[in-house]
Amino acid sequence: MPIEIEDQKPVNEVLRDREHELSLLVDMVPSHLWRLTPDGEPTFFNKRMVDFLGLDLPDTDRPGMSRLEAVIETVHPDDAAEFRGRLNRCLVTGERFTMRYRLRRADGVYRWMSSSAEPMRDRDGQIVQWYGLCHGIDDQMHAEEALRQSRRQLQQMIDAVPVRIWSVTSMDSPVYFNKRYQDHFRSVIANFEAIGEPRIETLLRELIHPEDAPEVQRTLLNCFEAGRGTVMRFRWREKDDIYRWAECRVEPRREQDGTIVQWYGVSLDIDDEMRAQVALRERERELSLLVDMVPSNLWRLTPDGETTLVNKRMADFLGMDLDDKQQLAVVFDTIFHPDDAGAVEDVLGRCLLTGDRFSMKYRLRRADGVYRWMSGRAEPLRDQDGRIVQWFGLCHDIDDQMHAEEALRRASERLAQATRAASLAELSASIAHEVNQPLAAIVANSHACHRWLSAEPPNVERAKITAERITRDANSAAEVVGRIRALFRHAPEARLPEDVNRLIDEVCLLMADETTAKTVCVETTLEPDLPLVALDRVQIQQVFVNLIRNGVEAMDAVAGSARAIKIRSYRDGPDAIRVEVRDDGTGFKDPQRVFEPFFTTKAHGMGMGLAICRSIIESHGGRLWTANNEPRGATVAFTLPLAASEMP
Amino acid sequence: MKPPEEIVFIVDDDARVREALGELLESLGWQSATFAVAADYVAYAKPDLPACLILDVELPDVNGLEFQRQLSSDVHPPIVFLTGHGDIPSTVRAIQGGAVDFLTKPVGESDLIAAVRAAIQRDREQRSTRAELADLVRRFSVLTPREREVLPLVVSGLLNKQAAAELGISEITLEIHRGKIMHKMEATSFADLVRIAEKLQIPITHSRRSGNSRE
Repeated sequence: MPIEIEDQKPVNEVLRDREHELSLLVDMVPSHLWRLTPDGEPTFFNKRMVDFLGLDLPDTDRPGMSRLEAVIETVHPDDAAEFRGRLNRCLVTGERFTMRYRLRRADGVYRWMSSSAEPMRDRDGQIVQWYGLCHGIDDQMHAEEALRQSRRQLQQMIDAVPVRIWSVTSMDSPVYFNKRYQDHFRSVIANFEAIGEPRIETLLRELIHPEDAPEVQRTLLNCFEAGRGTVMRFRWREKDDIYRWAECRVEPRREQDGTIVQWYGVSLDIDDEMRAQVALRERERELSLLVDMVPSNLWRLTPDGETTLVNKRMADFLGMDLDDKQQLAVVFDTIFHPDDAGAVEDVLGRCLLTGDRFSMKYRLRRADGVYRWMSGRAEPLRDQDGRIVQWFGLCHDIDDQMHAEEALRRASERLAQATRAASLAELSASIAHEVNQPLAAIVANSHACHRWLSAEPPNVERAKITAERITRDANSAAEVVGRIRALFRHAPEARLPEDVNRLIDEVCLLMADETTAKTVCVETTLEPDLPLVALDRVQIQQVFVNLIRNGVEAMDAVAGSARAIKIRSYRDGPDAIRVEVRDDGTGFKDPQRVFEPFFTTKAHGMGMGLAICRSIIESHGGRLWTANNEPRGATVAFTLPLAASEMP
Repeated sequence: MKPPEEIVFIVDDDARVREALGELLESLGWQSATFAVAADYVAYAKPDLPACLILDVELPDVNGLEFQRQLSSDVHPPIVFLTGHGDIPSTVRAIQGGAVDFLTKPVGESDLIAAVRAAIQRDREQRSTRAELADLVRRFSVLTPREREVLPLVVSGLLNKQAAAELGISEITLEIHRGKIMHKMEATSFADLVRIAEKLQIPITHSRRSGNSRE
């Protein structure tokens, strides 16, 4: 090749320039360059390497150690063994060396390096030199490590969260699961591993309750098709073929352009919640069933008395639609019997004001228009401050009972009347017969006597006989009357110490139906702890019954509300107790004559009542007297002496 | 003094009442017979005199009203009831049963006299009716069987000719029978005979018209 002399520098000068350039290049490339002998002894480090390591070739000459070993010392202890092994293997085989490792910088800090070396061979293929290059990859390595760390954490988190996470790209693609989900499958699906990559279809079949699976499939299809997330609930199979309720939320992940690349699902076990809800609903249903099925009518009022709820039974009874609230508001104005409506309104109104419990009997109109007797009660529900929040009421049908009671009461009244009438009629017939016979004889005899004396001539003998008979028969009549009086005066009953107050209470109870029927109220003012009195219960009861009945009958003619009988008992001196029975009736026209037998001011009386009462009280050693009250009415009072042992 | 041809029967369980009523009736001139129980009255052989029965309603053996019903099928003197207490249903029943009066004890003299008089008067009438009837029955008893056949036909108003045809005898024979009947029944006229037949309750079996139609 011709050489142009003028342009050419002398050869040695050119060589020198080139060597300088090369040396400059070698030192300036941002990498470490090094050279080894075929047996691995370092023979060259470029300047950057010397600067990095902080040692030059001569520094590697250490006693008892090869140069290579001295260099390996700068490799991170964790990487050194591998570094040595690999390099030695390459030196033997001549393969290309490549490795990432940490290298100690001059300041002692290890930096990641990517290193590679290749052998240079001569024409015979013998390795002459190894040339190596290594550059810092520390930042890259840290970034990669951070990424790995982050992924690991994410995975750990995904596997650790107590939810089951899955993802899928389409209906038919394999499904990715988090570890929890996989564990779940393994525990449920016997041959899970054999399934390989599970698809949605497989899971629906294997995992979801047969009753829910079709719906879940439909929902997922719709969701994928519409590209919208969804929430669904279904039962999934757990270990031992137990099904538990789960809720699954599905959302798509979209690219920036909006196309869906992945579907993510999160499934949560909501079985306890569902069961609680079911239990709650069941309890609510049971309660509602109870409310509707109890054989009573239930209702609820606001504190103002507005009806806000009735149970089904009551709605049925009234013939109203449960859902029609407006009907509810008006129906209550029309359901009460006209005779009761006013009283119910009064009482209920008062209860609403005072908060007292409501209790009443009234008639309600049934759907068919028939009025039935009801026993109604209501009580207020109060809040913590004692304010009334609601009224709860109940009423049950007592119509049959009322009718039975009414019939019973009427029957007993009729019986009592019949008994009274019968005994009076019997008594009067017996008295009439007993007294009438001698009277009839007396009258006939006196006529005969008169005839005999008027005859011409007078038949004095016969007249005398008849006159004697008159005397005899008159005495006989008097005897009869005496016997009747004796009949009422003495009764051979045993007398036992009794509490007169208790006796009064008993009689009031006995007479309650009668007095109530006549709208007479009986008020008692009884002195407590009265001493006992020896008396014949039945007789003294009879006295009370007589006196109360007299009082009631005396007030028959009195109109108005003040129809009351007042019974008072009290200690009368050291050795007696006194009882007074007052009424507001017509009073006695002639208080002195009331004790005469057969004296009566009553239309249907025998006139024996007070006479008998007095004779009973007198037989007990007491006194009985009467007086008229001002401005009206009468009082009958009597005393009873204390039993000897009770006297102070 | 009343003639002794009247008698008052008294049935009352009370001796004093029996005695006093008997005394009073005697002072008024009536003869009386007293009984404590109804059975004694029934057993008593009663004289054949116009009479009256004073009956206490309350008898020990039988109720007075019931006793009245038992007596009703028989001939008996009119009844005056006596009671301790008269009630309207009993009174009505007694009067419907034919009682003359219903008196309440003690009974006044005038009421008693009026009732007894009325009862005895009624008994007199009954007795005379009964006597008359007995006489008619006696007369009827002397009729021959054929005359007993003829009597109903003629009092029915059949013509002699019709009656004769009915019996299958001649008109002349029938006229003879009729004459004998008039005589035996002591009828002063044919009209009298019809009245007698009526009292004897002889049934009218034929009428002239039905007889004609049969011819």
